[in-house]
Amino acid sequence: MPIHEKSLIRPENLQTHDELILDGVDVSGHWSTFIESRVVKDYNEAMEDEIAALPGGEYIHRCWQCGSCTNSCTVHAINEDFNPRFWIYLIRMGMESELLRDKDIIWQCVSCNKCTYACPRDVVPEGVMKATAHWLELKGHTPKSPSMHFDEVFTEQIVATGKIEESRTIRRFFKRTNQGLMQDWMIEMVKRMLKHLPIGMLTRMGLATFVAPRTSNWSGAAGAIQEYIDEQHADQEKALSLSELIDVAQKDAAA
Amino acid sequence: MTTKDKYKKVAYYPGCALEGTGHAYNRSTKAIGKELGLELVEVKNWNCCGAMEVKNIDPKIQTYLSSRVMSVAANEMDMDVVMAPCNGCYHNLKKAEYDLANDGESAAVVDRLSKKAGHKTYESGQVETIHALDWIKDAIGEDGLRERVKNSLNGMKIANYYGCMYTRPRHIFPEKDAGPGSESTSKPHFMDDLLEAAGAENVDFPLKTACCGGAHTLSDSDMSTKLVLNILKAAKLSGAEVIATECPTCHTGLEMHQVRAEKVFGEKVEIKIMYFTQLLGVALGLKPKKVGVHENISDSMKFLKQKGLA
Repeated sequence: MPIHEKSLIRPENLQTHDELILDGVDVSGHWSTFIESRVVKDYNEAMEDEIAALPGGEYIHRCWQCGSCTNSCTVHAINEDFNPRFWIYLIRMGMESELLRDKDIIWQCVSCNKCTYACPRDVVPEGVMKATAHWLELKGHTPKSPSMHFDEVFTEQIVATGKIEESRTIRRFFKRTNQGLMQDWMIEMVKRMLKHLPIGMLTRMGLATFVAPRTSNWSGAAGAIQEYIDEQHADQEKALSLSELIDVAQKDAAA
Repeated sequence: MTTKDKYKKVAYYPGCALEGTGHAYNRSTKAIGKELGLELVEVKNWNCCGAMEVKNIDPKIQTYLSSRVMSVAANEMDMDVVMAPCNGCYHNLKKAEYDLANDGESAAVVDRLSKKAGHKTYESGQVETIHALDWIKDAIGEDGLRERVKNSLNGMKIANYYGCMYTRPRHIFPEKDAGPGSESTSKPHFMDDLLEAAGAENVDFPLKTACCGGAHTLSDSDMSTKLVLNILKAAKLSGAEVIATECPTCHTGLEMHQVRAEKVFGEKVEIKIMYFTQLLGVALGLKPKKVGVHENISDSMKFLKQKGLA
């Protein structure tokens, strides 16, 4: 069975009969399930091109479905529903509604690059996962993932100062995702850390949270980076026809 | 084995983590460098390499950030070799090197940004980027290390943990998998080699290059805790007393989620986590505090005392 037909044997799509006799043979119950004929009409033909237009998605067309990515995947070993090979298939077929069933877990790729290491076609599945997660957010299918919030907080700090000061990044991330900073395990960790540290080092760490380390003469680089990011975002919006999407939504709202 | 003289004086790129959570790695790297007579010249006014996050906003910005560090080393300091102890920094500099040599578009973006930022554009091939493991392995070598060991790690059972970024993806590390003496991307062994020379017993550890979930350590904490638990348990089952690390993100991830596993999942795995530079430092006769052992969360001072090493 081709893998996109997986949907047909999901429990909710199965047809079972309490009492069915065909040509004198009792085929009642679950084992004699019948699949109804169907026509798929809702292919999204633009989806593959749109994902390929986002950073990381460039090489999705090379995939020949060997499954090495899923086979080597760190996250798949924890959660079987995390299946890069299947998603690449759905994207290339344009089966958007099927892909959306997994929309809330695609961002969980940990970027370990085992898939990229194993892939015989240089698809860079890790990049495709990032591009797909990004596509889902840009199209409004999912809210920004915690991971995307983290990436943004992180990048903003680098653009501003050239460097990362970890405690500041962590505090901003927790604030942006509305989480309390002082979780039980965090307190325990800090306690264990403080047990052996000399006063001098504590002072140094404390100071870093007030005075951010920064790269000097950074403003030129900061301006150049921000300008480039803005340009890229504008290109992506165009590639994904986001302004049209907004127009349609606004017209719908008005009507 | 011949040692490389050009690694005796290198540009040192500590990176952001080594000024924060990875402070003990910074301290121990500098301490063993001094002890071994190797000179580290810190890259002037360096910036973040982009870590694991910036590429998700835009990969070419990450390439630019990494290229700026190499540009400073090459054009402002006249250095040939940049040594980065952090896997993330090491990986990103290697990736930038690869992209600049093979992708014209990346090179054009880096050139444009460098000009606007007001510094010389880095040209691929100007510097060689190495990891702290390459540095010790090639500048000193196992034989050189053996001669200098004062407190052998004799009897210490170690699981060597290399993580993701040191070997993957393969194409950005052309010098690996290059025949006898080179590092392997599927079964890395440089850390094993060095610690063995220091007297330790390396256990057969199957998760050397497994992922600790570092990229999502805070944004998907349960996933990271599960992945770290796999690593801690596998190391323990392999008979190890210590997990040796060579990356601040892996190291902090293992320590953090060791605590989190205990508090949130109720699973306690008793195993020590130490940087390979700390272990080498102790073997070279340095005081544990000198290599920041007291800064580790997994309290290793007592462990070293039991082993007669402190």
